[in-house]
Amino acid sequence: MLKLIHVIALSPLFVLAACGADPAPGPVEQIIVREPGAAPVATAAAAVASNPASALIAEGKAAFANCSACHAVEQGAPNGAGPNLVGIVGKAAGGVAGFAYSDALKASGITWTAAELDSFIADPAAKIPGTTMVAGAIADSAERQAVIAYLESITAN
Amino acid sequence: MIQLNVNGQSKAVDVDPATPILWVVRENLEMTGTKFGCGIAQCGACTVHLDGKPIRSCSTPISAADGKNITTIEGIASEDGTLHRVQQAWIEAQVPQCGYCQSGQIMSATALLKENPNPTDAQIDAAMAGNVCRCGMYGRIRQAIKAAAGIGQPAEQETVA
Amino acid sequence: MSKSETATDSPGKKGKWTRRAFIGAGVVAGSALVVGVAVRQGNPIDRLSPLLTDGKNEQLLNAWVKVDTDNIVTAVIPHVEMGQGVYTALAQMLADEMDADWSKVRILEAPADMQYVSDSIARDFLAPNLEVPAIFEPTVSGGILELAQAMGLQFTGGSYSVRATGQRAMRTAGAAAREMLVAAAASEWQVPASEITTADSMIIHAKSGKSEPFAKFALAAAEQSLPAKPTLKSPDKYKIMGQPKARHDIPEKVDGTAIFGIDAKVPGMKYAAVKAAPVIGATVTSIDATTARTMPGVLQILNMGDFVAVVADGYWQAQQALNSIDAQYSKTEGDGLDLDAIFARYATSLDEAGEDGGDMETEAGDVGKAFAGAATKVEAEYKVPFLAHATMEPMNCTAWVRDGKCDVWSGHQAPVNARQAAADAAGLPFEDVTYHNAYLGGGFGRRSDSDAVIMATRIAKATGYPVKMIWSREEDTAQDHYRPSATSRFRGGLDKDGKLVSWDNIHTHLFDPKDAPTIPYYNIASHKIRKVDVPMHLRFGPWRSVDHSQHGFFIESFVDEMADAAGKDGYAFRRELLAGSPRHLKVLDTAAKMSGWGSALPEKHGRGIAFVPSFGSIVAQVAEVDMTGAKPKVTKVYVAADPGFVVNPDGFTAQMESAIVYGLTAALYGEITLKDGAVQQSNFHDYPMLRIDEMPAVEVALINGDHKHLGGGGEPGLPPIAPAVTNAIFAATGKRIRELPVAKHDFA
Repeated sequence: MLKLIHVIALSPLFVLAACGADPAPGPVEQIIVREPGAAPVATAAAAVASNPASALIAEGKAAFANCSACHAVEQGAPNGAGPNLVGIVGKAAGGVAGFAYSDALKASGITWTAAELDSFIADPAAKIPGTTMVAGAIADSAERQAVIAYLESITAN
Repeated sequence: MIQLNVNGQSKAVDVDPATPILWVVRENLEMTGTKFGCGIAQCGACTVHLDGKPIRSCSTPISAADGKNITTIEGIASEDGTLHRVQQAWIEAQVPQCGYCQSGQIMSATALLKENPNPTDAQIDAAMAGNVCRCGMYGRIRQAIKAAAGIGQPAEQETVA
Repeated sequence: MSKSETATDSPGKKGKWTRRAFIGAGVVAGSALVVGVAVRQGNPIDRLSPLLTDGKNEQLLNAWVKVDTDNIVTAVIPHVEMGQGVYTALAQMLADEMDADWSKVRILEAPADMQYVSDSIARDFLAPNLEVPAIFEPTVSGGILELAQAMGLQFTGGSYSVRATGQRAMRTAGAAAREMLVAAAASEWQVPASEITTADSMIIHAKSGKSEPFAKFALAAAEQSLPAKPTLKSPDKYKIMGQPKARHDIPEKVDGTAIFGIDAKVPGMKYAAVKAAPVIGATVTSIDATTARTMPGVLQILNMGDFVAVVADGYWQAQQALNSIDAQYSKTEGDGLDLDAIFARYATSLDEAGEDGGDMETEAGDVGKAFAGAATKVEAEYKVPFLAHATMEPMNCTAWVRDGKCDVWSGHQAPVNARQAAADAAGLPFEDVTYHNAYLGGGFGRRSDSDAVIMATRIAKATGYPVKMIWSREEDTAQDHYRPSATSRFRGGLDKDGKLVSWDNIHTHLFDPKDAPTIPYYNIASHKIRKVDVPMHLRFGPWRSVDHSQHGFFIESFVDEMADAAGKDGYAFRRELLAGSPRHLKVLDTAAKMSGWGSALPEKHGRGIAFVPSFGSIVAQVAEVDMTGAKPKVTKVYVAADPGFVVNPDGFTAQMESAIVYGLTAALYGEITLKDGAVQQSNFHDYPMLRIDEMPAVEVALINGDHKHLGGGGEPGLPPIAPAVTNAIFAATGKRIRELPVAKHDFA
């Protein structure tokens, strides 16, 4: 192996690895599902909405994929970049415990009725200037209705 | 199969409809100007336009773009290669440092100016607050947006003693 | 700059350096003539030439500059571009000495090649009989760093590029190249070299009216003996240095074509998402991948011992599958730790050191006696938290290990270290690893570590095909090499006139630079500064301005407290301490004057001043805060900086702006906390960044105080901002912030 010149390093962290070091360890466990280029293993068809009661809710659930990066919808799940939305419909704005709301949202005095949610999701920053919800606006009215229907269906146990 | 119009070109992609637009653009379409920063719409590095509106492509599934127009940083210059006035202003003000966030910054800025050709400082702040620049070039971003909008402002003071 | 070359070059291409294509810093190919240069036996040009030139139209004059048939001068830059403008500033230094036409100067990043890491390059790039630049360069701040280290490790950091590589290598190389060209022309034209002048990449003999481009003499130049002592310009002759030249890397950063590490494209490449054990040092004892193995796109699931990886057709698929894996981890000593426990450890160590224990860093006078006899005594303790780097580009690396070869693509502050790390991880000799460096989407010290390179190489070795590993932002935040948290205790004494006569400081950790806790510029008759080491399971890494980031806050807060105890204004008090140092005083005075120091401010507004020399540059800042709202708002920052000589004023100003935002983000919000040994923060919602609506107006004044001793630009703007802000908060509210971040404190 090539001998490296050992100069005074800026800090101990920069000291070059010693010559002849053992290779870094390989995998403890290696599960090869398939080789690149091989046909993908057939996977279960996309799960059908478990509650067929409402096509609208199912549609809302699908559309909510958009929102799930920030919002959890499982009871007890921690807040993410946005608050957990279990039981959000009917709740006062700024009311989810443990979430650091913007001052603007806390002070808004809004109660999250379907109508209030609708106008908020349409354009959060216009509805509540200063909100930290900088993404997730849904321009499509029908899609908003579906998402709100989905949120209404998620209530605290 | 999802049908897209990306920077004026029709594309069909065969991906999981839940895949965020960001990864379709970067991996399937091999356009790497749009960047991954946080994955949860907090930093704006992934900003693209969906039917003209700025969106965070890391948190928007490709299904939301089916049949729609996506514009990325690669698509805002004129066809003859002339840079968009926002890009030109960015060079003029020497905005980028590491440059990683700048595609997103520029996409947010172009959307702002399309919507509001004469933004106030507060409007610039509101439109750009979703875009983080870790190199801290916010002052230059403001200056460049104003320059692109044709809003005059006194040159930055700088003295060499 | 040519952008025609892309990253799709076969990474396996033998013996050919392909990274220039990868970074897009193009090599402009001329048309016909081969501009040759004779190469001395043993001269590194022999080896470097195939790496750096196209072998046809271009030729190296020495390891740092080549000239092609179109008279394009290319500067070879042995540092990496992470936004600090180093490509441009170093090229300015070379081009100015060479009298090159700036519009025809191109830039090429040096390959991760041993020739650029050898300290002998400092001699070999010119001639064996050249007066060797001093190998050991004592820095202004008193530490000793080796010149060869900046070039040697090809490391970019320590605000080192311009002040070391630029001053010593780039300028000398430019001047030598110019003299070689002149000598060649003199010989051809049969005129004395002294009658020949150069300008804008032309060689001119006014008497005979002859004038030719550099390119014409590039071949003959190489046959000239290498100048033993190239003459450098005096500042009055600078044409390119000192000018706010536009940065070379900016155009490709506004149209999406700039290639960062994460943008590497390798044919057949797959993607990996990774999750390391949340508590550093723990191992993955078992994984349940029942769901993951059925998920779309998944190729492999790997328990690598210290982390879990999922390899899939796409990154998002890999990350989704990774999220579904339930992993169990081993117990470690760090498991029970939280932040309070860590600070309690610091307190215990400091208590144990007492008044005389710990490791002495610097001592003068008799602190015990001076403090005992002081008319006024002040004691204070300050704390700063762990900080993550949060580069915009999450950590990532692409690797391909096959057939006894390894290729690695990444953006790294020390490409040679990265290459060695990949070699070790792959179990291959250094020569069989090709390292392709790209633009860095933020470095700030984070990209000087090779952890991501090692992980990606191990994954790629296991798979056998090329893999791009990308860390989620959550992983990037929780698995950083942090700026250490630290506690610092002070005891200070004032005499009856309010003069600072005794300074006693003991703090945790000493990392780098070693002089960060010291204050040789302040005239304090008796002082002693000590440290204690406290073991920690977290990994520490250099974070923009490194130890100055905490000591700037500690020192300048305590100086302000002493000023207050003396009943003096913070600016006036510092003036007294700097009496006898006109260069320091000028910086302090300039900042104060710009800010209108002493003039009235509205109620609940305040001004604070701080002064920190670091990395060879002297910086003073005045911050103004508005405390009328729910949280502090920093409205203005005035900066005066003296780095000796400013090579690129706009670039240097941008560095000041940038360092202020980086430091202000940390001062206001930055805090990494632990619970059960694991980092609690995950993304920008719980590790917030300063945003545009909080950006203060920044005004910068630059001072050229000593053109022979240059200071750095990337880091020195950072240390003063936290104390300037907290001192301003004190001025506005009477509340002294002794613990960062400011967001912890309630101002209601």
